[in-house]
Amino acid sequence: MPEITYREAVRDALGTALRRDEDVFVMGEDIAEMGGSMGVTQGLLDEFGPERVRNTPISEMAIVGAGIGAAMAGMRPVVEIMYEDFLTLSLEQIVNQAAKHRYMSGGQLKIPLTIRTQGGAGWSPGAQHAQQLEAWLVHVPGLKVVYPSTPEDVRGLLWSAIYDDNPVIVFEHRLLYPVRGEVAEELEPIPIGKSRVLREGNDVTVIATGPLVHHALKAAAEAEADGISVEVVDPRTLQPLDEEGLVASVKKTNRAVIAHEAVTRMGFGAEVAAVLQYQAFDWLDAPIERVGSKFAPLAFAPVMEQFVVPQVEDVLAAIRRTVGK
Amino acid sequence: MANEVKLPRLGQGMEAGTVTRWLKSEGEQVAKGEPLYEIDTDKVTQEVESDFAGVLLKIALPEGEAPVGETIAWIGEAGETVEAPSAPPPSAAPEAAPVTLVPGTTVPGTGSSANGGRIKASPLARRLARERGVDLARIRGTGPDGRIVAEDVERGAAAAPAAPAPAPVVSGEIESVPLTSIRKTIARRLTAAWQAPVFQLTVSADMTRANELVAKARELDPDVRVTVTDVLAKVCAAALRRHPDVNVAYTEDALLRFPTANIGIAVAAPQGLVVPVVPSAEARSLADIARARGEVVERARANKLTAADLDGGTFTISNLGMYGVEQFVAVLNPPQAAILAVGATEDRPVVEDGELFVRPMMTMTLTVDHRAVDGAEGADFLRTVKRLLEEPALAL
Repeated sequence: MPEITYREAVRDALGTALRRDEDVFVMGEDIAEMGGSMGVTQGLLDEFGPERVRNTPISEMAIVGAGIGAAMAGMRPVVEIMYEDFLTLSLEQIVNQAAKHRYMSGGQLKIPLTIRTQGGAGWSPGAQHAQQLEAWLVHVPGLKVVYPSTPEDVRGLLWSAIYDDNPVIVFEHRLLYPVRGEVAEELEPIPIGKSRVLREGNDVTVIATGPLVHHALKAAAEAEADGISVEVVDPRTLQPLDEEGLVASVKKTNRAVIAHEAVTRMGFGAEVAAVLQYQAFDWLDAPIERVGSKFAPLAFAPVMEQFVVPQVEDVLAAIRRTVGK
Repeated sequence: MANEVKLPRLGQGMEAGTVTRWLKSEGEQVAKGEPLYEIDTDKVTQEVESDFAGVLLKIALPEGEAPVGETIAWIGEAGETVEAPSAPPPSAAPEAAPVTLVPGTTVPGTGSSANGGRIKASPLARRLARERGVDLARIRGTGPDGRIVAEDVERGAAAAPAAPAPAPVVSGEIESVPLTSIRKTIARRLTAAWQAPVFQLTVSADMTRANELVAKARELDPDVRVTVTDVLAKVCAAALRRHPDVNVAYTEDALLRFPTANIGIAVAAPQGLVVPVVPSAEARSLADIARARGEVVERARANKLTAADLDGGTFTISNLGMYGVEQFVAVLNPPQAAILAVGATEDRPVVEDGELFVRPMMTMTLTVDHRAVDGAEGADFLRTVKRLLEEPALAL
């Protein structure tokens, strides 16, 4: 199986869809000649031309709004919001329009819109270019939200997002783009709403998203040296949540740590904890632990950024707390 | 720096104590000398006063047993944080592992799972306990803050002796009553007593004069209710002064001969057998003995004895006369060398100089540690007791 980067995997999914389907097109700020601020769409303009790989003005509201219109008209647009911090500018379109039209039209309208965005700390982007705002969007009925952590997953999930008839937000992470991983020769769709067990274990389940999946795998390897067997599960899709898969893992291990880079307070992990305590109450042998960023704007200074954002040691400490070792 | 509240040694030989209740909660202000918690030792249940003034920062042992000297709480200034020692490191787990059932066990560094009546247990532990019929109250938690986790229940279920033991003849359920500290102490001490080679001597005394003395004393001072037991205490103390070789304790190295006759009186308290002590009975008047005896017995019945009430006895009287028992043999109360078992006073035919009389007679049996006291010495002592009971004025 070929090994590609996360960035290449995104590009592969976009390219394959563009190649296969005339209804698919991509648009966003600087995605054409420049290939996107993160280089994800490099080469697409050459292959598919300016009609299907479109630069936009700097207006996130317009980018999403145009995408919604095109989707309603039967296209399968993939729009890019350069930083998820700027999703805030397009929230009216996402929350009040994209999420609502299918419901309000009694199913007559479909919104097969994909919104790609990226964010995350770890490279000193400062307080306005590194937030993790997925919790804002999983709260809105009518939206699907995915947050893949590996090349294989991002390729398969982006594909499913493009071919879903509902608006899907795809969260990517800046630090994941260079991450390499094996993928199948042929692109394989990954169903939205299915979690993935990346590592099997018996003592504690770490439910992690984005870069924290990789932190969790490192922490699990360290914990193993102390005789703690850690299962690492990536929900991959945040909305709809694979409750069954997560609960099954926790019922097996009896302990849970939920880890994401977003601020812990009121975060996605709070909902997961609520699901677990309700559905696996009688299987829990320890309080559910949450690992996330401290409740603070992200600092620019690298040492301060590190302090705010969860590290491998934080995941490991939470693992140890659950097993009392 | 916060002050550590350590489990105190409340009496000789006390090695562990069980915290039964905190009278202050975390965060509460505590004055020096204010009652802080209740402790159940192998002898008594008593309130312990705070040695420090400040805020009760953290309770490390909400309830349960700990060895003497163990830190059970911290008192300091408001807002101060304390570094609680965490549970033993995993490497220590094998040693700690067998410690599961609460009775008679301690795990240094871990607290009990109970907290103000609420047992701290994980949901999984609760479900397992429910399914396997394990009583969580009998399980010691090894999780964070003493929480009972699934592993503890599994160990507890495995350790439980397939209770209740099969007893085909008995219909109905056998009730399993957990051993109290006192019950365990009684068992331990009396089993130890069994190892001493003992002999018994029995005499009967004419109680005519002793009864007259009791009646007269009550008449003179109705407020102080003098009893036969007080006369016995006074008489035994006087006899011990005359036979100091009986007022002893045997140890491996030496015989300990005591300077005063501290008379223990066996009391059937609600919580079990206790032996409060009337110290220096030889130096006290009968009324004084009655008053002191009345107070300690009252405290014993109210379960309010302090360690001081129980310490230092050199000789014990056990009186079952009030139950109509004619005579019985008492088990030694170690390390004391002798114990006097007293039966009921009853009218019996007595032959004196060939004539038959009816006299109030009382039969006493002295149990003696033969390692410390020989037969003749014991007999001599008992003869003195008999003589003093029959002529109490000689005990003055």
